Amino acid sequence: MGLQTRTSLRRQEKASIWKGYLRMEQLVINLLNGISYGMVLFLIASGMSVVMGAMNITNLAHGVLYMIGGYVGWTVAVKFGASFWIGALAGGLAAGLVGMGIERGFLRFLYKQGNEQVLLTFGFVYILTNLSLWIWGGWPRMPFTAEFLSGSFGIMGRVYPKARMANIVIGSFMAVLLWWLQDRTRVGAMVRAGMDNKEMAMGLGINLERVFALVFFFASFIAGVAGVLGAQLMGVYNALGLDVLLLALIVIIVGGVGSVQGALLGGLLIGVIDAFGRALFPKFAMFTMYFTMIVILLVRPSGLLGRRV
Amino acid sequence: MEALIVEGLSKDFGGVHAVSNISFCVGVGERLVIIGPNGAGKTTLFNLINGQLSPTAGRIYFYGQDITDIPTHRRAHLGQARSFQVISLLLNLTVVDNTLLSLHGTKPSRFQMLRSMKSFVNVFTEAQAILEAAALWEKRDEAVKNLSYGEQRRLEIALSLVSKPKLLLLDEPSSGLTRDESFEIIQLIKNLGEKITVLIVDHDMDLVFGVAGRIMVLHYGQVIADGTPEVIRIDQKVREIYMGVEECSDHAGVS
Amino acid sequence: MMQRINRTIFNPYLLTIAILVVAPLLFSTYIQTVITRFLIFGLFALGYNLAFGYTGLLSLGHAAFFGAGGYTVAVLKLRYSSDLFWIGAPLGIVVATLIALVFGFVALRVSGVYFLLVTFALGQLLFSVAWNVKWLNSPGMQGISGLSLPSLGFGFNLGTTSFYYLVLLIFVICFFVLYHVVHSPFGRALAGIREGETRMQSLGYNTWLYKYLAFVISGIFAGVAGVLFGYYNYLISPTHLGVGTSFLPMVMTIIGGIGTLSGPVIGAALLIFVEHFASILTPDRWPLILGGMFVLAIMFTREGIGVYLWKLWNRVSNRYGSAHR
Repeated sequence: MGLQTRTSLRRQEKASIWKGYLRMEQLVINLLNGISYGMVLFLIASGMSVVMGAMNITNLAHGVLYMIGGYVGWTVAVKFGASFWIGALAGGLAAGLVGMGIERGFLRFLYKQGNEQVLLTFGFVYILTNLSLWIWGGWPRMPFTAEFLSGSFGIMGRVYPKARMANIVIGSFMAVLLWWLQDRTRVGAMVRAGMDNKEMAMGLGINLERVFALVFFFASFIAGVAGVLGAQLMGVYNALGLDVLLLALIVIIVGGVGSVQGALLGGLLIGVIDAFGRALFPKFAMFTMYFTMIVILLVRPSGLLGRRV
Repeated sequence: MEALIVEGLSKDFGGVHAVSNISFCVGVGERLVIIGPNGAGKTTLFNLINGQLSPTAGRIYFYGQDITDIPTHRRAHLGQARSFQVISLLLNLTVVDNTLLSLHGTKPSRFQMLRSMKSFVNVFTEAQAILEAAALWEKRDEAVKNLSYGEQRRLEIALSLVSKPKLLLLDEPSSGLTRDESFEIIQLIKNLGEKITVLIVDHDMDLVFGVAGRIMVLHYGQVIADGTPEVIRIDQKVREIYMGVEECSDHAGVS
Repeated sequence: MMQRINRTIFNPYLLTIAILVVAPLLFSTYIQTVITRFLIFGLFALGYNLAFGYTGLLSLGHAAFFGAGGYTVAVLKLRYSSDLFWIGAPLGIVVATLIALVFGFVALRVSGVYFLLVTFALGQLLFSVAWNVKWLNSPGMQGISGLSLPSLGFGFNLGTTSFYYLVLLIFVICFFVLYHVVHSPFGRALAGIREGETRMQSLGYNTWLYKYLAFVISGIFAGVAGVLFGYYNYLISPTHLGVGTSFLPMVMTIIGGIGTLSGPVIGAALLIFVEHFASILTPDRWPLILGGMFVLAIMFTREGIGVYLWKLWNRVSNRYGSAHR
């Protein structure tokens, strides 16, 4: 066989692989993968984004809170054998408490110093990552899920993991809930008021300190729950703190800061781009995310749904 | 040639029309004072002229050149200088540092990386002259935040002149000052000469009527009156807006 | 904040240099390597502070430039079997500079905290590249191993002590250069931009350009440190491009003092010192200690240890030194 024939054979192979990807079922599968991953990204980023917008605090330890949620969820659901959902709740609570501890014990005192606050949270990334290494050891935990979510179901002639579908459902539900909280409740209005004009809001009798502490707790709680939900896809491991932080940042940069909608759009967009990236260029999947981020930065620095910088 | 031409200038923030379709000309050497109630758009107008804000619509011409899309720092080189409503001096730096930085702003030496600032002796001498004229030379090594408010104002206005600007924008130069300090400012502005055009926003009627060759009244982002002080003083619309203020200025016996 | 140097014979800069020059005669080669490590990271932190302390640009991605310098040296060794200093150093610096030019441009599209986030992401991007691209890895592992001290040509290979002096020389030159930059009109303008960017713009300064230049220059210094690190360290790995390494100059600067030139160097000394002991006593808990020191420094020190040491020095030498000025 000559060189000529071998090359044209390879070209034919590649063409058929691409044609495979363009087939309807494969497209849908990739899309669903993207959306379910994107939902996890949304959950991760939403808490961080809202805290950034409302309290002007960039919590770089947000990824670590996700990880703590995942570890605690694993301990409860896998090690002690309780229900997956109890694990998720426990994970959320653990993360919420740690987050609140950071805010009440440290961030609160650096009220006017934006830069110092950010740096402080990064110090906690080190501390908490090393502590969880101490507690849970260095070996990663395999993905785990609820009983009734294990296994797959049929879709368009293919099988699809129930766990991923669950993420889409839960994520959508959370999106609606968070949007409702942000736009339709008094608490949401208070947070938005505090965002725009702290003194004014306080003058109106709103106990901003308490509202902020609550928001921070809630954002951390969601991060912890996301940690358990995401564990269905990614498991739990020690480097999650930074890996997840990076994902959250990219989502926020792409989607814009401060709103649930921005986190949702950013998360879904990145999730879908990543899913198709993995399918089409498996070796450079990671770079599709970076590429998107850089394009957004060059073209629309404030993010797709962010306030104009 | 007019020093400044503003054509159809508008600035919207969401639903708020801070500045609505304003047009006017300012001749070289004019002393134009802009007055109006709070929120009338006066500082926004300054921000548009000096480049801190981009207009939603309209154009700005400076000595015949369209500067609408030119960034602030380039406008400084074209001959604009301004003072801010809230003192913008670099509070943590010393008086002399602030002065030297202001001086270097329009000099090519501002990009020098390897010679120390102190080695530029002629600039330093200029700084000394400026600070002595403003009676602040003794305090040159003090951090600006340690000066009294009046001293800070005095410094800021003195520094706004170091680039020998063609257009000076003074935003509430007398705010927070005592009667004597305000008087000094009025004298200073009066002595600026006819090569420099001065736009002032202020509320102190002594200063306004003491310095203005022309007064423009802004209300809800629009010009509602524009003319010599005598004309403005008797204008019906202006009186309606300034009812309370009118009584006070009558008492002070403005000439 | 400009510190006045006491012009007595107890000039702290000269004294420190004197001690460092004499050190190899007094200490073992092992201690020399520790001091070399301190000088390399001191240089890294020194350059970093130009962007961080002087201009107010908080970056968490400077390891990209540091690692780039190191990787250049490493790739030269791995793929081209060269450890010639006269090729590795300039090339490494050029690579680091190019990356700084690109990253700076992208990152300065935003400001404040977002700038931090973008530099972080860009650093991790480079980490990803180093992890995935085969050409940048020794076979069978992550990173490149088998690195060695440089040669100056004609078979003249540097040993521990001669390399120590090379690093010291480069460090002193860089410190000297940075000292002048910081006191120049350009450097003072950076401080002005940090304190009040709007005002500086209305005075005629193209603040974006200044920030860009400051960022790139600090990247160049990081690259220089990275080149030296590539020779100093036995191996280079993707972690040297990631946030774990980017974090170090920041910690050193915060602990040592943002406002002064020597602050980051003092912070570097402290950190390397503590790390040295931690690596003997509790190597696993070093990140915890590092994080703890960092948190304490942020919560409780206003200006960093460096300023405190300067004040102490001034008090001591005023009492014992001759009068001056």
